[in-house]
Amino acid sequence: MARLIRTEKEVEGRYEEVWLLVDEDSLDRWPAGPLTVVGRAAARLDGPARARGEATFTADVRLPGMLHAAVLRSPFARARLRRLDLDAARTAPGVRAVVGPDELGGLTRECGFEGAPVAAVCADTYEQARSALADARVEWDVLEPLLDADEAVSRGELLSTREYERGDVARGLAEADSVVESTYRTQSVLHNALETHQSVCRWVGDTLEVYTSTQYVWGVRAEVAEAFHLPADRVRVVCEYMGGGFGAKNGAGDYTLVAAELARRAGRPVRCALTRREEHLCAGNRNATVQRLVAGARADGTLTALAGDYVNAVGFSGWTAMTEGPMQMLYACPNVRTATYGAKLNLPPMKAFRAPGFVEGTFGLECLLDELAAKLDLDPLELRRRNHTAADPRDERSYSSKHLAECYRRAERHWQRRHDVRARSTESVKRGVGMASQIWFGGGGPPSYAWVRVGADARATVVTATQDIGTGTRTTLAQIAAEELGFPLDRVSVTLGDTAHGPYSTLSAGSSTTPSMGPAARAAAADAKRQILDLATQRYGGELRIEHGELVAGDGTRRPLDELLGLLGEGQILGTGARGPNPTGLEVLTFGVQVAEVAVDVETGEVSVERIAAIHDVGRVINPLAASSQVEGGIIQGIGHTLSEQRLVDPADGRVLTRTLDAYKLPTIADVPEIVCELIDVPDEQLTNLGSKGLGEPPIVPVAAAIANAIRDATGADVRSLPITRGEMLLALAEAREREKREAPAAV
Amino acid sequence: MKLLRPSSLDELDGGVPLAGGTEVVPLLRDGLLAADVLVDVGAVVPAGIDGTRVGAGTTLAAIAADAQVPAALREACTLAASPQLRNMGTVAGNLLQATRCWYWRLDYPCRLHGGDRCHARDGEHREHAIFANDFCASAHPSDVAAALLALDAAVHTNRRAFPIAELYRLPTEDDRRTTTLEVGELILELEVPAADSSCYLKAMDRKRWAFPLVGVAAARIGGTARVALAGVAPVPWLLEGSLDDATPLPGTAYKLEIAKALHRRALTTLG
Repeated sequence: MARLIRTEKEVEGRYEEVWLLVDEDSLDRWPAGPLTVVGRAAARLDGPARARGEATFTADVRLPGMLHAAVLRSPFARARLRRLDLDAARTAPGVRAVVGPDELGGLTRECGFEGAPVAAVCADTYEQARSALADARVEWDVLEPLLDADEAVSRGELLSTREYERGDVARGLAEADSVVESTYRTQSVLHNALETHQSVCRWVGDTLEVYTSTQYVWGVRAEVAEAFHLPADRVRVVCEYMGGGFGAKNGAGDYTLVAAELARRAGRPVRCALTRREEHLCAGNRNATVQRLVAGARADGTLTALAGDYVNAVGFSGWTAMTEGPMQMLYACPNVRTATYGAKLNLPPMKAFRAPGFVEGTFGLECLLDELAAKLDLDPLELRRRNHTAADPRDERSYSSKHLAECYRRAERHWQRRHDVRARSTESVKRGVGMASQIWFGGGGPPSYAWVRVGADARATVVTATQDIGTGTRTTLAQIAAEELGFPLDRVSVTLGDTAHGPYSTLSAGSSTTPSMGPAARAAAADAKRQILDLATQRYGGELRIEHGELVAGDGTRRPLDELLGLLGEGQILGTGARGPNPTGLEVLTFGVQVAEVAVDVETGEVSVERIAAIHDVGRVINPLAASSQVEGGIIQGIGHTLSEQRLVDPADGRVLTRTLDAYKLPTIADVPEIVCELIDVPDEQLTNLGSKGLGEPPIVPVAAAIANAIRDATGADVRSLPITRGEMLLALAEAREREKREAPAAV
Repeated sequence: MKLLRPSSLDELDGGVPLAGGTEVVPLLRDGLLAADVLVDVGAVVPAGIDGTRVGAGTTLAAIAADAQVPAALREACTLAASPQLRNMGTVAGNLLQATRCWYWRLDYPCRLHGGDRCHARDGEHREHAIFANDFCASAHPSDVAAALLALDAAVHTNRRAFPIAELYRLPTEDDRRTTTLEVGELILELEVPAADSSCYLKAMDRKRWAFPLVGVAAARIGGTARVALAGVAPVPWLLEGSLDDATPLPGTAYKLEIAKALHRRALTTLG
């Protein structure tokens, strides 16, 4: 039965107290380990459609009469529009509609970052739209931009400030036998989803159709409805397939509002798609950080104090991600103090990016821990074990489940390799091994709903208006429904991605799609199965069950399911299901550890990552194949973040310099090491009818720290700034040599 | 924009030459190159390798795979770009490509664009020059040019022949060009002398498909060893003095260290 509860809702470390409509979750738990379908590797059900080009991405949507929009953007990091004359643009060839600032929310005259949208036109072709904008007469008052995050903090230009303290850090430091203090810097990196941000909008009567590349069809529906003063039901949002989001596509975005408004004015469908250059400019980024950290510990490694000042270079708008999260949450330390400043700068706004805050904060904390281990002459893995915590150190709340200790145990055999790895060093190439722990959210939550429809053909369809961000949601949900129904996987399909076809689902962010949607799909399948078995009893008598798509009676008699379901004719069985609440008073988190092996050419500064072993605890694994893909993808993206990717801006004018894929260096397949993926795969007994947590984000969290710690192991150099380019590496090596000279005992 | 496809050199009459298009097309799209007429020179520029003669229209992929070619040139072609780009890009196009300096590519009014300052010198310049960088700090991106410079190749155009070193010039206050080709002049062929030994070593920001941070080509022909560098000056750089003569910027000091390491290794490889 549905009921309203007052509860804490978490998305990527942001908590809010909300009223939630939840259903009870009364299904029996499945046993641990691989079942008939769940827990077994399944190739993507939509793989062939994707490979054949039949899958419809927003970039493929071509509606009859569709026009193309181009957006006039601020060429300056900070500027005020003095004059804008769009008359020439209005009459340029092919132009069908124009929208200026003050006419649409999101378009602005006061531009606080390069790329801020000012006006837009739509025309028969994209080239015409671009060329019309070139005809617009624009005059600017260019203002001095604020670009330095530390300066923003000292000037009080802050979007937010957070402070946290437990225990007494001064006392903790006084009790420490050893104290380390370091400053870490992380750079701004770009999501670079294969499909750029884009929408196609069409008005059908008084209903607005939005085809968009999004992580949250329902969120786009709500935003667009509000912007155009429409009842939500008069906005339909469709995202059948999407080419990646990584957190940058959680909202509607100005491109959607531009397409909708221009479509209204032109009376025709309008497509607004960002170019790769616009994508690099103003489609979101992982903000840079500066982290000034201190750790104190006793000689045996017991942490006595942790403290951190975190400056997030958020940009002109956005939110202050929880960079301090790992310091507060990862270890059993009684005395912790953090301060986090969200600097408001004339730089393009950040957007969530795969474990926002925790990727940056884990780099700082886990490098600091290794520096501490070196100073205490302790094994880094042992140091982490000694500070393991059985309850959330912030409030002593229990975890719904935690198998970090088991992750450490399984990491041992990878960690043991370090002696052999180091022994393979040469005069110019030094090898080493490093590790880092991972903590992150990923529990998902209600509300989320699914329906399961079964027809006379004995096939089932899971119907839900969630979206597949690219992780294989169609396959995962089909596996869960097939398992519950007792159907073979090839008798189950999934329709998703359309707010007009199927019930509400939560957003695909915060590693939440599987833990939020999976239990709803199972509940809907269970409801459908109850109805089928009810009919079976009416038809055949006695108690029956379904196995491998067959009805099995108590005496073992097997009957094909379509013998019964064939009786339905055009009738259908409809099961409904909802995601139950998260366990009250328990902390639902994901954990893990990664062990990286690197080779450093100490003469040229080249860092090669040769192997990463990833061990993560995310509860029950539904599809091991999809899961290992997430681990590989997260590690590869993490390697880019660690070694080569950085969005550069001119230090004087704040304009973005790395706008193309030759200047902004994503890793290529040649940069990918051997990746060993091990998942603990123990269901969380407290969490939903599945016991599954999310895996989209955890694998990227510890990558940078594990690599940096491996570099320290190999060379003795401390790299405290990302990315670890050749320049950064050579600088760190030079500093290490200097330090060695300084600390070397005087010659006798 | 018009595209002409002449079938003989005599039909050439102005326009922007287009071969593989991997450089010209992006420049046109970004508005850095204006062309009313594009001339597909595929049919008029020789392609293929015959002993020491390399047709200007030969793709990097074809050169990389040909054992007749000295190792330095083969390795430079192999380490350049990606397989797709090497299959399209021609050797002459590679020699004539523009700098990747982001200020130039974003059309800042920099000295190469005729302006009065080098934005990179005071700005972000981690990819920039360590030699001849006073007027303009851009770095020349051609791996292939460094190899050909070390090999002392000769350039044959539709008008003349000259050593490859003379294909390039440092930009000056009076003349901002970085090549010496005249209007209407086309590279037709390269004469690449056989070397006793040669090699090309390259440092990049990732394992593959990046322009050189530093590329070092070395070749021994007879008793003479020549070393040339890519990515260190506004033009491909023949090392005539010592690497210690370099004038790195604060953000490019690391390049000198890499250049020294690769230089040592290249000379060891030459034997």
